[in-house]
Amino acid sequence: MSAKSFSRLALLGLSLVLFCLSGATVCPLYGAEDASVDFLSDDFYEDEPETIEVGDPLEPMNRAIFSFNDLTYTWVFDPVARGYAGVLPEDVRNSVWYFFNNLQEPVRFINALLQGRFRDAGRLLARFLVNSTIGVFGLTDPAAQELELPPIEASLGETLATWGIGDGFYLVVPFFGSSTLRDFSGTVVDGLMLTPYYTWADSFEEIATIYVGKEVNKASLHLGEYEELKKLTFDPYIALRNGYFQYRKKLRDHGPDEE
Amino acid sequence: MLFSILLACLLLAGPSSGGAAVPDPTEQFKPFVEKVVSILTSEEFKKDDKCQKCQRIITVAQEHFDFYEMSKRVLGKQWRKLSKEEKDQFVTLFTRLLQYAYIGKVEDYANQKIEFRKQRIRGKRAEIQTVLLDKDKEIPVSYILILKGDKWMAYDIIVEGVSLVRNYMEQFREILRKEQYAGLVKKLEDKIAMLDKEARATDGD
Repeated sequence: MSAKSFSRLALLGLSLVLFCLSGATVCPLYGAEDASVDFLSDDFYEDEPETIEVGDPLEPMNRAIFSFNDLTYTWVFDPVARGYAGVLPEDVRNSVWYFFNNLQEPVRFINALLQGRFRDAGRLLARFLVNSTIGVFGLTDPAAQELELPPIEASLGETLATWGIGDGFYLVVPFFGSSTLRDFSGTVVDGLMLTPYYTWADSFEEIATIYVGKEVNKASLHLGEYEELKKLTFDPYIALRNGYFQYRKKLRDHGPDEE
Repeated sequence: MLFSILLACLLLAGPSSGGAAVPDPTEQFKPFVEKVVSILTSEEFKKDDKCQKCQRIITVAQEHFDFYEMSKRVLGKQWRKLSKEEKDQFVTLFTRLLQYAYIGKVEDYANQKIEFRKQRIRGKRAEIQTVLLDKDKEIPVSYILILKGDKWMAYDIIVEGVSLVRNYMEQFREILRKEQYAGLVKKLEDKIAMLDKEARATDGD
């Protein structure tokens, strides 16, 4: 990757992080994230809905972007993904997914360390080494399937959360989907700056192509799920927003045995 | 969990050691789930006329799903403001809505296996953790149950950490805020009519 584009991206990433840091201090919204969810308590159902904790002050804009994403998905991504799925067998598409996922393990490793999750960091390193070697450059996932090392989540957004930085607010990002100000800044840095396959690229067009290719591949593995979900909802925007926060809580609940 | 073990010991130690211990949720729930899946995938079910289908599934589902408890939680504060008739009407509507979530996925069930992993009990509440296995994918699904008499009844389903009840709750909140309860009922009826129409259309194949 050329020095010029790298520094441009670095600037973008850094400015986003700084922006969210300043945003988080100006509107300090509940920095520390909740402990595990307790489904067995009746309070769980009396509590305020997930979104209230973080806030959605940009709701009109978010709804507009959501509609845009919805249309783009239905009319562009989904047909392309279906065509792609028709051409490439599922095994191959799964391998592509595993390959990209594996290349992000080093970033997760760093984030786990920064969060003090040393045991998870060790596991992530093990996953990366096993999958890159025995797993044939990451095309398969023997770590999860044979060695009881399932995928572990660790992102910059979560690192910033453990450092006490508030989410800022809910954000729907074009093409990308649900996130929050803090988490998306993290994604930009994690994804664009630190992930190998982007730094290998020589130009912005290449980065965009890789990103689109990766997303189409991912979409091809989940055809129809989004439409099914929408059929059963009354307000897909809210359903997705609420689902995003609940899902994220579960992803970040690493249980009592982390060191 | 420890408390229930203690309690069970105390009860069993007494002179009348009749079955006063808490029944096991998985023992009740697992056969029920297997029964529902076998009905959904049976040949006669697939050929069944639409309305017989819906009624049959609801009747079976009600054996271990408590739609009343679900509705109560989904509406939150609004529930307390409803009359008895309104509550009954809402429960009926919500039940019908949920049934489409299952009937629509018949083809999927043929390829999926459900593995029961863990359970935990706290007083009259329990959580059964299962995993839906579909080729390579593993989807965690938890059922949250309440003990009514000696029957465990499910009142929430958690898929990948997302509670069905909480998700609908937030959607309904918005609708209640903008269109009040009457607006919510109308939306439910419209949605059910639409799902019904779609189901009838695909049935024709």
